[in-house]
Amino acid sequence: MAKDIREDISWAQINNDVLKSLETPRPLYWVIVTVALIMFLGGVGLEVYMYNMGMGVANLNNPHVWGLFIATFIFWIGMSHSGTLLSAILHLMHADWRKPIYRFAEAMTTFSLMTAGLFVMVHLGRLWQFYYSLPYPNERGLWPNFQSPLLWDAMAIFTYLSSSIIFLYIGMIPDLAICRDHMKEGWRKKLYTALSLGWEGTDRQWRNFRITYLTVACFLIPLAVSVHSIVASDFAMSQQPGWHVTSFPPYFVAGALYSGCAAIITLFIILRYVFKFEEYMTLPILKKTARLTFAIAMVWTYLNAIEFASVWYSHDQASKDVLIQKATGPYAFAWWGMIFCGSVVPLMLAVKRFQTNIPVLFAVSLLLNLGMWLERWMIVSPTFSHGYYPWAWDHDQWPSFVQWGMVFASFGWFTLLFMVFCKVFPSVSMYEVKEMVYHRTLALKKGGKGGH
Amino acid sequence: MSVTNLLENWSQFRKSHPEGDVPHAEYKWAMSIDLDACTGCNACSVACYAENNLPVVGKEKFLHGQQMHWMRVERYWDEDGRDFPDQGAQFLPMMCQQCEAAPCETVCPVGATNHTADGLNSQVYNRCVGSRYCSANCPFKVRYFNWYDYPTTDDVWPAEMSQQLNPDVTVRGKGVMEKCTFCVQRLSAAKNTARNEGRSVKDGEVQTACQQACPTGAISFGNLMDTESRVYKQWKNQRVELDKEEQAKDKEEGGSKLRGYRILEDLRAYPSVMYLERVRESAV
Amino acid sequence: MIENGMNRRDFLKVLGWGGAAVALTGCGNTSVEDGKELITSYVEATDYMIPSIGVYFNSTCAQCDAGCGIMGRVREGRVLKLEGNADSVINHGKMCALGQAGVQAHYNPDRVRDPLLRSGSKGEAITWEKALGLINEKLGGAKGDEIAFLTGGMSGHTKALLGNYLEALGGAKHYAYDVTAPAVVRAANKKAYGVEMPHLRLDKAKAIVSFGADFLGAWVSPVHFSQQYARFRKGENGQRGVLVQVESKMTLTGANADRWLAVRPGTEGVLALGVINALGAAGLYLSEDVKSLVKDYAPERVSKETGAPAEQIGKLAALLKERSPSLAIAGSAVEGYAHGSQIAAAVALLNQVLGNVGKTIEAPANVPFQQLAPAATGRAALVALNDALAAGKVKVLFTYGANPVYSASSAMKFKDNMKKAAFKVAFAHYLDETALEADLVLPLDSALEDWGTFVPAYAGDVAQLGVQQPLMEKLHANTRGAGDILLALLKQKEADKYKGFEDYYAYLRTAVVQNKAALGGAGADDDTFWGETLSKGLVKFGAAGGSLSGKVSAADVALPAAAAADAQFPLTLIPYVTPNQRDGRHANQPWLQEAPDPLTTVVWDSWVEIHPKKAAELGIVEGDIVEVTSKHGSIKAQAYVFPGIHPEAVSVPMGYGHEAMGRYAKDVGANVLSILDPVADKVTGETALNETRVKIAKAGKRVIVVKEEGAAGGKQMGKKIAVRVSTDKVDLSEEV
Repeated sequence: MAKDIREDISWAQINNDVLKSLETPRPLYWVIVTVALIMFLGGVGLEVYMYNMGMGVANLNNPHVWGLFIATFIFWIGMSHSGTLLSAILHLMHADWRKPIYRFAEAMTTFSLMTAGLFVMVHLGRLWQFYYSLPYPNERGLWPNFQSPLLWDAMAIFTYLSSSIIFLYIGMIPDLAICRDHMKEGWRKKLYTALSLGWEGTDRQWRNFRITYLTVACFLIPLAVSVHSIVASDFAMSQQPGWHVTSFPPYFVAGALYSGCAAIITLFIILRYVFKFEEYMTLPILKKTARLTFAIAMVWTYLNAIEFASVWYSHDQASKDVLIQKATGPYAFAWWGMIFCGSVVPLMLAVKRFQTNIPVLFAVSLLLNLGMWLERWMIVSPTFSHGYYPWAWDHDQWPSFVQWGMVFASFGWFTLLFMVFCKVFPSVSMYEVKEMVYHRTLALKKGGKGGH
Repeated sequence: MSVTNLLENWSQFRKSHPEGDVPHAEYKWAMSIDLDACTGCNACSVACYAENNLPVVGKEKFLHGQQMHWMRVERYWDEDGRDFPDQGAQFLPMMCQQCEAAPCETVCPVGATNHTADGLNSQVYNRCVGSRYCSANCPFKVRYFNWYDYPTTDDVWPAEMSQQLNPDVTVRGKGVMEKCTFCVQRLSAAKNTARNEGRSVKDGEVQTACQQACPTGAISFGNLMDTESRVYKQWKNQRVELDKEEQAKDKEEGGSKLRGYRILEDLRAYPSVMYLERVRESAV
Repeated sequence: MIENGMNRRDFLKVLGWGGAAVALTGCGNTSVEDGKELITSYVEATDYMIPSIGVYFNSTCAQCDAGCGIMGRVREGRVLKLEGNADSVINHGKMCALGQAGVQAHYNPDRVRDPLLRSGSKGEAITWEKALGLINEKLGGAKGDEIAFLTGGMSGHTKALLGNYLEALGGAKHYAYDVTAPAVVRAANKKAYGVEMPHLRLDKAKAIVSFGADFLGAWVSPVHFSQQYARFRKGENGQRGVLVQVESKMTLTGANADRWLAVRPGTEGVLALGVINALGAAGLYLSEDVKSLVKDYAPERVSKETGAPAEQIGKLAALLKERSPSLAIAGSAVEGYAHGSQIAAAVALLNQVLGNVGKTIEAPANVPFQQLAPAATGRAALVALNDALAAGKVKVLFTYGANPVYSASSAMKFKDNMKKAAFKVAFAHYLDETALEADLVLPLDSALEDWGTFVPAYAGDVAQLGVQQPLMEKLHANTRGAGDILLALLKQKEADKYKGFEDYYAYLRTAVVQNKAALGGAGADDDTFWGETLSKGLVKFGAAGGSLSGKVSAADVALPAAAAADAQFPLTLIPYVTPNQRDGRHANQPWLQEAPDPLTTVVWDSWVEIHPKKAAELGIVEGDIVEVTSKHGSIKAQAYVFPGIHPEAVSVPMGYGHEAMGRYAKDVGANVLSILDPVADKVTGETALNETRVKIAKAGKRVIVVKEEGAAGGKQMGKKIAVRVSTDKVDLSEEV
């Protein structure tokens, strides 16, 4: 089996390679940034249009009050679980192959949460009054409704967002110090100087750093689980057929980890190419990620089956009708697409040959993400078109270009943030890669297989 | 509600009403609609447009399901596949059911929809942020969202048309949820009058716009706490109880000879609108 | 009824003395901002006007000819909403959708605001003096019989004034035209009972069989009948009433029937005779001539001809025999066919053999002043006018409250014939199709700004004179009431007689007050009587009519043999009078456009109702644009597959397809009236509405039908939503 990373790579070379990513990416980088910027600006235009005209232009209606905005919101929340998975869960499980790729995964967490938050805002009928849903002190003694899952949602997301920013930042401090030390004078030097908080690399600093990092990692895991459970309770706590399902929280969390992993593969491949990280983001690591994705895919498939089964056993006719309608109604293409992309396509990841085949993996990861997006859509919309009250059934509500455009733009916004981040901050953790190389060398000398 | 209080009285808070308590001291507005009298003529719905400043959205928006009728008249056919609907159609006026345990109220993030002491499910336009969660959780889908800014950019009331608007009712701007209020502006006026005279509102003193228009008098409206009111008598006569999800009618085997029921009762939303079944002659 | 101020003034809840005379100051369509609006100080407000308090004034609804009493809520000088006047014997405080929309006729943004004189294809605003002068000038060149006045339904003092004017013009002719008028029914009733519109006691009947009379939806006086229907259903006469509806296209009344019998178009009379036959078989006494008339109408034959199951005919006869008194009503079937009068006679015979005449069919209250009685409207009037126009016999044509350019069949070529009249004057609220063809358009006050009196088209047991009074100041400075215009025109001809009346209000007041003895005001002083009349919004007059007896004999009924199938035009077209649109005069009231048709739930468009079997046969699905072609043209509209129609018929609603009449009406749907065959009832000469034979074909396009009904298509999907129970499973006697 090929090695996760070359043991003979020198620390200076690591510094050199990673710092180079801050300066001279391949031209494709600029293409991506430009395209992302255009997509995002398109979205801004649509929002201005919708803000002026009213939400109606999104072709939402009664009963389809939510549509793609909320589906895509769940999608991005799900995406945010990638970072936590790689940094925190795998960190605690001592899987050291995560080291070269966890930084960008954490960045994904932060930015996808920001994107998700954007959808909450965009979907509000009165965007300008969004702060009503925050518990801020006011002279009228008005508080939000603490019974509402939507409020839990807002709080969970804010907590998770701030925690993941802190986590991302803390993990970057030693690398920021390296950047500071290698930079010539300029805004970057000032930035890194300020952000590295006077990191010297002393033993005491390292000790404190490790403890802090571990603590935040431990804190983040339940938070990540709770965030998506709460998003799930937006649906599970409601009374609608197809939503009122007890297994929704674990199902959502599994789905989140799944889409997170799939997105990691996508961005892994892109970053590896544009920042010339072939030495660090190696094929063996990709292979491990692919295997992990496969495992989670199967968990998700299982939970999916559980959801169907529990609907079946519940004898709740309305929920059954929704399920049947998903499979046979006008949404059938999307529902079967979800099954295909989410449960069938990942089977390719079980084939060894494909686990290191970059074009195949890239295509598969995109399909998985598509499948996961469809899953969210299939959670939200069919229930609206097939609720308890038959008179209000409506199959023909297709999102307008405004909704599709916003979904599209959200990818631009995310990519833009992410790409700018990778250009400004080291997207591969230098000190952890060094650590990994050191451990591997040590193990090699001792004749072991490496790793902790 | 302190935390201690919450914990100590947990079982009570889980119920829609405290046990053994009278939930509504003076008023509990309720309705009963006799489907046997309802002819489906739409007078109620248009009267509601007139009273409550409902916007006419036009064909294009109606196509997209963005109509704003607080009161809609539904028309059902028999489903046994006969050549002709030879027992006629069935009409059902449907508006906010003013549920006692309203699914919409618990989910609103900002508490813009509340239960009033009179048993109304109120909607506070000023507080609404437009998350539409209430509508998503409404089993009857009777909440209507202002998808557009009807008074301004949409120009629903051009020129002199705006002079018809009822000054007692807010014209809603874009981005807020709205729904049937049981003509709360009329209720407030009647309550104020009664309070100033040191009495309660008498039965028949206040009518909802739909009730007032209904040519066959299919709609009764009044105070369920007033044992003299027609609505109270109808509910009692049909043995329909507000806080039960199963009524006498459902329990009795082989037909109870009663015809009062509430829609989707098993969801335990406890609607304040009782319907009386449509009667059809068995002899022809 | 708002706030405390009202407590002290409960007695003022309904008050009307004064009306416009109380100077309801306030809003024109100007604003304070642009400095044009008068700001009235409310510190010393007019009596009965309290800021923020709604005050109610009584008036009379002008949306249709039923003449319901209304009560307008007026606040700060604006009328906000119309409610029913509880004193009215017609509607007892209730309102229909049409009546509610009266405020939209008033506030309609497309009203005509100035007298318009044709100049080329445009209208040029002129002064009233010039307009009236022009009329006088043009009338000078015409003899009395060269002048024609076309109106819709009219009654009360406006009608009286019009009559006087026509006389003053030397015998000008009045054509009273209404496409939805029950003209054949009236003529047949006259023959059968001696009165045109007997008082139908739905509330007394224990069983009703209606031959296409949509009395809950659009027939004659729906609000009145709906109230009676409620009592009929409640069984105030001892037993819950049973309604059987016989028709080819389900109307709103049909949708509320206990049994809806779909019959082949035009065979309603056969069914009526079949029921008489079955009644005889069941032991009801039939005279010999009736027996011989119906002997051929055995259930099997009737079933074969009408398509109604033979078993149902027996059941219906059994029901009618058992539940007496019953009531048979002849409705749109009678207006529909060339043998309509025969159908009506058959239905009258049914009533007669059942002994209903005098029990559920009573004499109506008499309207003592025939000048005020409703004009006998019909469709024959338009045919007569059209013939006169075509022959070039009309030099000056006035139109008021009728829109023949829209509602005449293209076969009549009315628009072309109208051009032959040298001078055409339209009294108009809006620029409708007819006003656009006129040389001079006179802008009218809305019904909520104008004075007038109405006698309801259907009287009931008490005749009443509804008073129409302004509920607010005029919205537009330059409009005038029809009465005022007529008065001004009369003054041109007979100045001496009318010089005492400054305006129509003065005329009306004098007219009513002079007759106070007959109007129940004997002994009251003039001012008090007039004030009370305005306050009530109506005066009741007339004693109950005498007794009625059936006058139909078997010899009066001669049903024709079934028409041979027409291979080229295989289907019968039934133009449907919807409760909301009627003949199309309300198409510009957006509430009515947005209120779904009760049966199809379609909004803002026309539709073609096709039975599912027929649709399957023709490969038509909902939303297919189909072309309905008759001998006289074709229209295109969306198909709506509808179970409540006979497979040999298609139905298209009236009232859509306007080419003018403002933003809400223009280009909405297709005009079914334009393709009707001009076939007339053989007895009365009234155009038979259902005699048009058509063929339908897909036109290629498919649209989404814009309707209220959702994807479940009116199914309850096993849920308990609108529940129905049969009479044997319910005990109504204990109910509150």
